[in-house]
Amino acid sequence: MTRSVAQLLAFLRAALRGISASPLTSGVAIATIGVSLVLVGAFALLVANMQRLLDDFGDALHVTAYLEDGLSEDHQRQLAATAATVEGVTSVRLVSKQEALERFRGGVGRGAALLEGLSENPLPASLEIGLAPEHRSAAGLARVSGSLDGLPGIQELTSGQDWVEGYLRAIALVRGVGWGLALILALATLLIVANTIRLAVLSRRDELEILALVGASRAYVGTPFLIEGLIQGAAGGALALLLLYAVFRLVLPGFEFGLELLLGGVEPRFFTLGEAVWLLGVGAGLGLFGAGAALVSESRP
Amino acid sequence: MKRAPGRLFGRRAPLEPGAAGRQAAVQLYHVSKSYTAGQYALRDVSLEFRRGELVFLTGPSGAGKTSLLKLIFAAERPSEGQILVLGRNAPRLGPAATPPLRRRIGVVFQDFKLLPRRTVEENVALALEVVGAPRRDTRAKVFAILKQLGLQHRRFHHPLSLSGGEQQRVAIARALVNEPEILLADEPTGNLDPELTFEIMDLIARTATRGTTVIVATHDHNIVERYGKRCVRLEAGRIVEDAPAHGTGP
Repeated sequence: MTRSVAQLLAFLRAALRGISASPLTSGVAIATIGVSLVLVGAFALLVANMQRLLDDFGDALHVTAYLEDGLSEDHQRQLAATAATVEGVTSVRLVSKQEALERFRGGVGRGAALLEGLSENPLPASLEIGLAPEHRSAAGLARVSGSLDGLPGIQELTSGQDWVEGYLRAIALVRGVGWGLALILALATLLIVANTIRLAVLSRRDELEILALVGASRAYVGTPFLIEGLIQGAAGGALALLLLYAVFRLVLPGFEFGLELLLGGVEPRFFTLGEAVWLLGVGAGLGLFGAGAALVSESRP
Repeated sequence: MKRAPGRLFGRRAPLEPGAAGRQAAVQLYHVSKSYTAGQYALRDVSLEFRRGELVFLTGPSGAGKTSLLKLIFAAERPSEGQILVLGRNAPRLGPAATPPLRRRIGVVFQDFKLLPRRTVEENVALALEVVGAPRRDTRAKVFAILKQLGLQHRRFHHPLSLSGGEQQRVAIARALVNEPEILLADEPTGNLDPELTFEIMDLIARTATRGTTVIVATHDHNIVERYGKRCVRLEAGRIVEDAPAHGTGP
């Protein structure tokens, strides 16, 4: 075993000894970091799942141009050809009045009996305009709709633009609240870790005095405290992951209706391994930074 | 190009000692120390301690003995004057350079300053661990010094289960395990019974015979008389007497 590994193990032992010397204080710090990261992690999960819904929905995004009644088939085909030349359009499908009626009939099921009394088909013919993936966004939808708007023979244009814009705003809001909360909680976590380490430094003042006496360097004295902060932060991150997973598996299925409202048909997913490691890293980083801040403030004369 | 005195290639070089200074472990030049304005713990103290010398600092409580020791192991800085410790300008050392100097100085206190939750062996090993000594060497050196001080059978005990004399011997073992060039002892027998006092003092005094400069602060006249070594008497922060060695004590 090399000298540096042996030294690192000695620091690790000292850090663990420090944690076990004040289990209550360390436990409170770990729990606080855990709860903070649960809140931040919950927002991150929500944003990730909402973004996923948007990605899934994007595949089905298209513009529908409803045509005026009485247009000749030639005119309808001419409009379809014009729509196909618009930038970002990959396909144009002409849906006749009859096909629209068949679809409606298939869609309403037993309610189709209502259609029996109609003397004529009230549904218009339409063009279903598909978009290239890079144009499946609120801006893409607006651009394609704008190019077709006002063309003679087109009565009305519809797209998911309003919904997409609204959902994007909702994601931005959730993300913004998440970041704001993350900043506040990160600050609170830093203060808590810093105070925990400061208490540890104060409770071991005699030991530190003796270490200084025998010629211990600042790094030798400070490293165990930094490791202590790092361990507390990582443990808080692990606790947060555990709590989030428990909520995800045990509690979330009971809120099916709310999830359906928020995420549509998208199956909610948990963190990937990389994202889970990232959350652990954030916890460890907060712990390390808090411990560093405590050491700096304690070393001031 | 003229080079600034005391500087070599841009770095501060040790001040050039005189002929006597080459043998000196510690030199103090007109040193004063004041903790509150107008009140001095030490005032205009100039002293030199040679290598391998055993010196007693005596004087009543508040005379400045502990302040002088603290200045030597760079726990404090003088308000005025210069201090050279093992050729280093101690008050000028930064946070990174102070620990290496302290590793060359052993310190023993009246209240032992041992870690109660660590064993005797771990307490003594601390002085070697901070310099990154290999574990095997550390254990061997710790065992050797504990054996020398008659404590090898107590190495797995905790300090609080030992007698006062044994605890002080552990503190001495920790101070000596690094083979320091200077040993400072601040009232090392102040908490001990009279019969233990000379046992501990013999251990400390013996260290000087191996070339270590030993400076003992004490107000116990019996000790000073028994050893007959150089004695510096302080009163109200000033040197009032610097009596040379006059005996052939232990």
